[in-house]
Amino acid sequence: MAPKPIASPVPDAWYPTLAVVMLSLGLLFTASFFIYEATSSRKSRSLAKELITGTVASVFLGFGSLFLLLASGVYV
Amino acid sequence: MRDMGSRFGLFLLAVSILWAPVLSDLVISKVDRRIDLTSQIARITSTLKVENEGSDLVTEVLLAFPDVQAEHLAHVAATSSVGKGGKGKAKGSSTSYAVQPVDPKGMPASLTFYSVTLPKGLGKGESVTFDVLAVLTHTLKPFPEKITQADIQLLVFQDTAHYLSPYPVKAQTLSVKLPDARIESYTRVDNTKNVGSEIKYGPYENLPPFSYSPIVVHFESNQPFAVAEELVREIEISHWGNVQVTEHYKFVHGGAQSKGEFSRLDYQARPHVRGQYAIRRLVAKLPPRAHSVYYRDEIGNISTSNLWSDSKKTELEIEPRYPVIGGWKTAFTIGYGLPLHDFLFQSDGKRLIDITFGCPMNEVVINTLIVKVVLPEGSGDISVSAPFPLKESKETKFSHLDIAGRPVVVLEKTNAVPEHNQKFQVYYKFNSLAMLMEPLMLISGFFFLFVAGIVCMHVDLSISKSSASYLAKLQWDEVQATIQQIQHIINRGLVIHDKLEASLRDLSRTGDIQACKAARKAADGSLKELSKEIKPLLAFLQSSQQAAHILPKVEELVTKERDLEERLMAKHSTIVDCYEKKYGGKEIENRVASQLQKITALRKEVDDLLEFIDEI
Repeated sequence: MAPKPIASPVPDAWYPTLAVVMLSLGLLFTASFFIYEATSSRKSRSLAKELITGTVASVFLGFGSLFLLLASGVYV
Repeated sequence: MRDMGSRFGLFLLAVSILWAPVLSDLVISKVDRRIDLTSQIARITSTLKVENEGSDLVTEVLLAFPDVQAEHLAHVAATSSVGKGGKGKAKGSSTSYAVQPVDPKGMPASLTFYSVTLPKGLGKGESVTFDVLAVLTHTLKPFPEKITQADIQLLVFQDTAHYLSPYPVKAQTLSVKLPDARIESYTRVDNTKNVGSEIKYGPYENLPPFSYSPIVVHFESNQPFAVAEELVREIEISHWGNVQVTEHYKFVHGGAQSKGEFSRLDYQARPHVRGQYAIRRLVAKLPPRAHSVYYRDEIGNISTSNLWSDSKKTELEIEPRYPVIGGWKTAFTIGYGLPLHDFLFQSDGKRLIDITFGCPMNEVVINTLIVKVVLPEGSGDISVSAPFPLKESKETKFSHLDIAGRPVVVLEKTNAVPEHNQKFQVYYKFNSLAMLMEPLMLISGFFFLFVAGIVCMHVDLSISKSSASYLAKLQWDEVQATIQQIQHIINRGLVIHDKLEASLRDLSRTGDIQACKAARKAADGSLKELSKEIKPLLAFLQSSQQAAHILPKVEELVTKERDLEERLMAKHSTIVDCYEKKYGGKEIENRVASQLQKITALRKEVDDLLEFIDEI
């Protein structure tokens, strides 16, 4: 079998765009998480809602920061 | 030096007489040797025509090097040019033979032997022609050893005019190519000619085995002796699309040592007379599509560099911070990124990186070359394949987002020359899912931040659980929660109101009275439920002291909402009635006009109250 070149799973040229999009989405979810934390009272707060918002925000922030690292030349 | 050479020759002659019977019946019918001394690296190309005069099949041809040369021997290769066309034309069809160091018995101890393996063997009476390239480093000795800035650099080279071989040699010639026409002196033996910058020895005929006739050439050469005492190349693979190469150089000028002072002014004013043997610039030929190239040292960026690139190569020209003259040192680092798909391949379930081994710069001698291949975290089953022997070891490197560290293959080679700029491969196994490790680490990092936030908001950190203020706070929390619930219920009520209005609009459009009545019924039911839900909450607020200041507003809100609800219902029934009695549009408008005003006013009040409570 002839050797087949391996490329990155995501084209390099997309990294900056992906970083901006995912980080802004992540920050939006983070904002909604903290607004919820600050406005809801202790009794009426729902743990499930907090966890879901937190998870979604951290997934976006995680991938966003990974792509930010890659776009800025820090190849992890 | 000459003395030593001739003594060595005498010794060899004695040895050759003692060992007259040769080990095989090979005869070298013709040797053309060309010694290229135009750079600091001495390249000896010998074209050998070997003939088998015995009856046995011979598969090995021995090459002999005196020990003084053998210790400087960086590279030996034997290639046969199949095509018999003009010089260099048959480059494409050349095949290379395996060359190994051997230690045959019964040979003089002061010689080092290499054996060339002929794949087809050499039968009786057959002959074969091949080229042997021997690359020697550190054999050109500066003489005088110390010179001033204004002096020219003179070098001494020693070899033999007769081809040193364990076989008898029938005919031979030697030509020495020098960089400059100026020759200080050279040994004259029979048939010596000097044509321009070339010295020719020979032809000599029918010489016995181990013939040795020392020659010394003393000539001018202002070639900079760029010697890297140590070069560490680090090749780091990232499966996210990059191969990062970082090269740490420790350069020294290996030519004649500098004596006296160095005048920068003289050097700048007359660079071709004062310090012409300095290392001024180095050119690195990087692979095509190299990006993010940098050139720096411990202080920081060095700005004296130029970069050109086209589709075939990238050329980086760098100038050291100062002209490096004899004996001076300089250390710097260059680095560049390469696209992953040019170097990383998949083959038989394994991944392999295929990249050049040596230094990308021209005519550089490297005393110790260390190549470190940093594989991604989680790679295993690592093996190396290289075209020449290497010292191999393993280590671990910690880089960005690593837990267990990345496996590093360390390959070491001493005395490396540009001929070692060959491709080598590192094979390893890697699971693509392991690439998700890095994003998962980042995600869990952020997630812990959010969990910390949640815990902070949920955990009760007060010390005294029975103090008045703490209890008051607890009550206030409850009041807040109740008020939020009330708000929520009222908002739901307002949504039902909107639905009723919508049913009225539907009625005016379709005239379907039954549907409108059904909507009314549903709304009635849910509104009743809501008012039931709100009752205990109100009762709680009334009983709580904490809620005293807000209670009137909440009660007002609840009554206003109920009022609004009643009016809305009244309006709804009026309109439905009118439709049943089939009144005209004008009539209906007249009847509900007053109600409409009140409803709008009430709605506004309710909204205001909601907003006010929201702000608490």
